[in-house]
Amino acid sequence: MVASMENIVKRYQAHTALDHMNLTIHQGETLGLLGPNGAGKTTAIRVLTGLTTADAGETRLFGTEMKGAALAVKRRIGVVPQDLALYETLSARDNLNYFGRLYGVRGHDLKNRVDEVLELLGLTDVAKKAPKKFSGGMKRRLNIGCAIIHRPELLILDEPTVGIDPQSRNHILSFVEGMAKAGTTVLYTSHYMEEVERVCSRVLIMDAGHVIANGSVEELTKAAIFEETVTLEVREAAPDLPDSVKKVQGVQRCEPDGRSLTVTSAAGSQNLARIIECAAPYVILSVAAKRPTLEDAFLALTGKKLRDNGGEGI
Amino acid sequence: MRGFLATFAVGFKSLWKSPVSVFILIAFPILLILILGTALSTYISADIELEPAPMAVAAEEGGPLRAFLASPDISPFFELTYTDAAEAEALTKSGDVICAVVEGGDGSLDVLSQSQISFTAQIALSILDSYQRIGAAAAAAATEGGDIAAALGMDLSVTDMPLGKRAPSATDYYAVTMLVMILLYTGLNGVELFSKGMLSDTGRRARTAPISKAALVGGLLAASTVTSFLQGMVTFVFSGVVYGVYWGERIPLVLATLFAVVLLSQALCLFLLMLFRHPGAAGGAAQAFFWVSTFVSGGYTKVSFGPADAVFQYAPNAMAHTVIFGSIFGGNEGKMMFCLAALFGLGLLFYVLSFILGRRRFS
Repeated sequence: MVASMENIVKRYQAHTALDHMNLTIHQGETLGLLGPNGAGKTTAIRVLTGLTTADAGETRLFGTEMKGAALAVKRRIGVVPQDLALYETLSARDNLNYFGRLYGVRGHDLKNRVDEVLELLGLTDVAKKAPKKFSGGMKRRLNIGCAIIHRPELLILDEPTVGIDPQSRNHILSFVEGMAKAGTTVLYTSHYMEEVERVCSRVLIMDAGHVIANGSVEELTKAAIFEETVTLEVREAAPDLPDSVKKVQGVQRCEPDGRSLTVTSAAGSQNLARIIECAAPYVILSVAAKRPTLEDAFLALTGKKLRDNGGEGI
Repeated sequence: MRGFLATFAVGFKSLWKSPVSVFILIAFPILLILILGTALSTYISADIELEPAPMAVAAEEGGPLRAFLASPDISPFFELTYTDAAEAEALTKSGDVICAVVEGGDGSLDVLSQSQISFTAQIALSILDSYQRIGAAAAAAATEGGDIAAALGMDLSVTDMPLGKRAPSATDYYAVTMLVMILLYTGLNGVELFSKGMLSDTGRRARTAPISKAALVGGLLAASTVTSFLQGMVTFVFSGVVYGVYWGERIPLVLATLFAVVLLSQALCLFLLMLFRHPGAAGGAAQAFFWVSTFVSGGYTKVSFGPADAVFQYAPNAMAHTVIFGSIFGGNEGKMMFCLAALFGLGLLFYVLSFILGRRRFS
């Protein structure tokens, strides 16, 4: 086990940010941490990285309890904050050098490692330029580079793709996948479900300061009970179709939109065949049954939607 | 040490690489010296800038002190009121005169000073001090085997300093007061650097690294202090080379004073940052304090606040002026050393308070 948090409680005056939270991170896995704003994700990361101390509970990293400075343990983790954590007037190379030195990398090893990271993140050509001249995606990449310069065993990324273009996002996700394949343990928080579905082998869903669900994406989507949604499209106008579909057992809503009709039924209704039968008098162009996603699971478990403009960051 | 050096290097480099910082650190002081120094020195000549200092004198009529004060070289510096010892003291306490000199029966002089905040008063007291030393030297010379140098307390050549040496020009005056003011303002560099390197996301990331908070804070403070002091040196050298500002012969003492001002400024700004927890609020409060301190110390223009001068003479700028002017033109050594120690002491006090507040902030 790489990290664990047991019964962690953290209060900020009257507000309880973490309420007996439990978490374990296993060697080599990529763990996704999901939760609505204020769920406690950022506080959990702060406790985990030693930026703040918990009021109760025990945090362990690599078998060592995180007490005091815990310098030896900190050497083995890399942290990518949600907001850019760079010296914007210094060059990309200077930034990497600085964080490398803080982690004890020096001399030729530091120079080689800086070159390697610049290459890995596609920043070699702009190594001498200051990040203030970078695009958002390049800044994000450098932000990650500063966290991996010392080859951490546990990489913690707090919403690393906020506010960047799809190309840069894809670059970062591929990079995270590569790190995971190379054996690095990753803790990844994001508001983008498709990112978590893509890179994470296991997902924790947090709400109100504690974990409410834990499992793989498949396990979570199966565990949650969902409404069933079918959308069908006919060639000509079908004014009588909604009324006949509404009579089918289990149908809760029927929403026509031009020649399309979206039908929502109660969980477990399994009435796709009966809905198609209602539409038989018409020429059916397409039928689509919506597959439940992690987003649906999240909504079902927390009753809330994730938003893009997330928490306050580390 | 690794963390300290890395943080020092990155802080130092980031301050010098920021165009705004470079402007503040180099161009701004040079511009100030250029504009104010040139402008003022053109219409305020060296020998008319001193206002006569109101001074009460309790001395024997026809005696050597009265003769000395009435001499053509000395009389322009004073506006004299001849009276007895008791009234001289009362006039000083009421602020009607800047100082009083009371001659004892044995020929000794007792100088009562309401305040040395005024530059004119410093010059006046310096003159009296020299008179006293000359008297002591004369007495020593009259005594067989008397040690004249010891009686003077300094090198013989310095005894006629106020009369023989150049008086401070407007440029000299403003070079000192502005350099002190600029160095005080450099604490704002510390606010910026410390906010970035400790409180911002960059700082938070650094705090997840395997280095102690002391190394991180120390590196940032050292970077800001060294940068600020170097800035002062730029102005210091520039003023001497280009404008011929006279910095005296006790350069180490002047530099120590400037360094004390930098330390105090950094410490005060750090304290305000820990207190307000917001760079803007801390910077605003620091600027307000620096402005007031500079104003009441005569940094912008020479001004007297009457009885309040007794308090204002301990403003940071005023204490620095006391040491620097004293070291250049001769001043009360005891008071100079007290002011220098106070500047270092205040800096230390604010550092301690900052660390107390910081422990709460980062726990």
